[in-house]
Amino acid sequence: MPLVTPALAAIIFTAGAVSGTLGALLGLGGGVFLVPFLNLVLGFPFGVAAAISLTTVIATSSTVSAGRAGRQLINMRLGMLLEVATAGGSFLGGITAQLIAQSVLQRLFGIVAVVVAIIMLTRLRRRNVILDPAADPGILGGRYYEDESGATVSYRVRRLPLALGASFIAGNVSSLLGIGGGIIKVPVLNAWCGIPLRAAAATSAFMIGVTATAGAIIYYGHGQLEPTLAAAAVLGVQLGSWAGMRFGATASAKWLKILMAAVLFVVSAMMFARGGR
Amino acid sequence: MTRDEGRLASAQRLERAIGAVLRAGVTISSLCLIVGLVWAIAAGNGGVPSLLLQIGIVVLLGTPAARVVVSIAEYVVEGDWRFAVLTGIVLLELLASAVAALVFNRRL
Repeated sequence: MPLVTPALAAIIFTAGAVSGTLGALLGLGGGVFLVPFLNLVLGFPFGVAAAISLTTVIATSSTVSAGRAGRQLINMRLGMLLEVATAGGSFLGGITAQLIAQSVLQRLFGIVAVVVAIIMLTRLRRRNVILDPAADPGILGGRYYEDESGATVSYRVRRLPLALGASFIAGNVSSLLGIGGGIIKVPVLNAWCGIPLRAAAATSAFMIGVTATAGAIIYYGHGQLEPTLAAAAVLGVQLGSWAGMRFGATASAKWLKILMAAVLFVVSAMMFARGGR
Repeated sequence: MTRDEGRLASAQRLERAIGAVLRAGVTISSLCLIVGLVWAIAAGNGGVPSLLLQIGIVVLLGTPAARVVVSIAEYVVEGDWRFAVLTGIVLLELLASAVAALVFNRRL
């Protein structure tokens, strides 16, 4: 466990603020940036980095979902159904993380970072799937007021087993690597399951609180969650994501995405370099 | 009220209840973490600041679980047994994590 000093707390607060801002601008949790910073730059053990990051994921999920609740953007029924898969995946991942070597986790993170970068690059021009507003959304579908079109749109959920499978994997990766896992769920829900992007992102953000909790509790029990450092990271991420949402122009996110994809390729290479030793 | 309107009204009530739980959890934990962190930096760790930080972390970790419990209660009140069971499974999974945490804790 790293020695806690005011300087270290300030560095982690700043790292959290930067990750939170980038996360809000890109529609990610920010853990994908925070974990490599803590592990590679500050040299924390992987488990300690993942535990801190998962705590910030819970805070972001709760804050964002509290702000959105009541607007029907979050598909609660779908979210709660998929949580059965994601919490199960997260529970298993949390146990596995305690049993496998740091080098394996680093290589796994390297793989996921490349996948995230590729997804980011292939989704530079993202589009929503909107169906006829009069359509019956079915038991799991949803209906919400969309600002862009100024109308109520509805959608049906397709390929539920695929959504459940993606959620299980996202939960597993989440607690193994300390990230939210939205980057895995959101593209699958949007591209193959018929859920509009905004609803998919809101529902995923809602779910990752439970996902990260299932993982974080295990790290906490294992004594890998340092409260002072977690507090600094949580407060930094809260400030950063607030700033990102307030001042972030999502329309100009294209170059930011390209830049961040490049950062993730570097992160991946570094993780492989460390993990390969 | 039609079946569709009834479903919408109960969905809105659930969303409001969940929003309130999440807001309360975030507010309480953030306050504990801010005060605890500033205090720990100013006066050193241990005693009250450590306790505040621990409370802040536990409340933060407990917030999604509390939201699951509220959902179960709402679905039971609605008589929506299918979703009451599903959210019940999610709560069991969270409890399984807590049990695993205790097992790992004992090993140290």
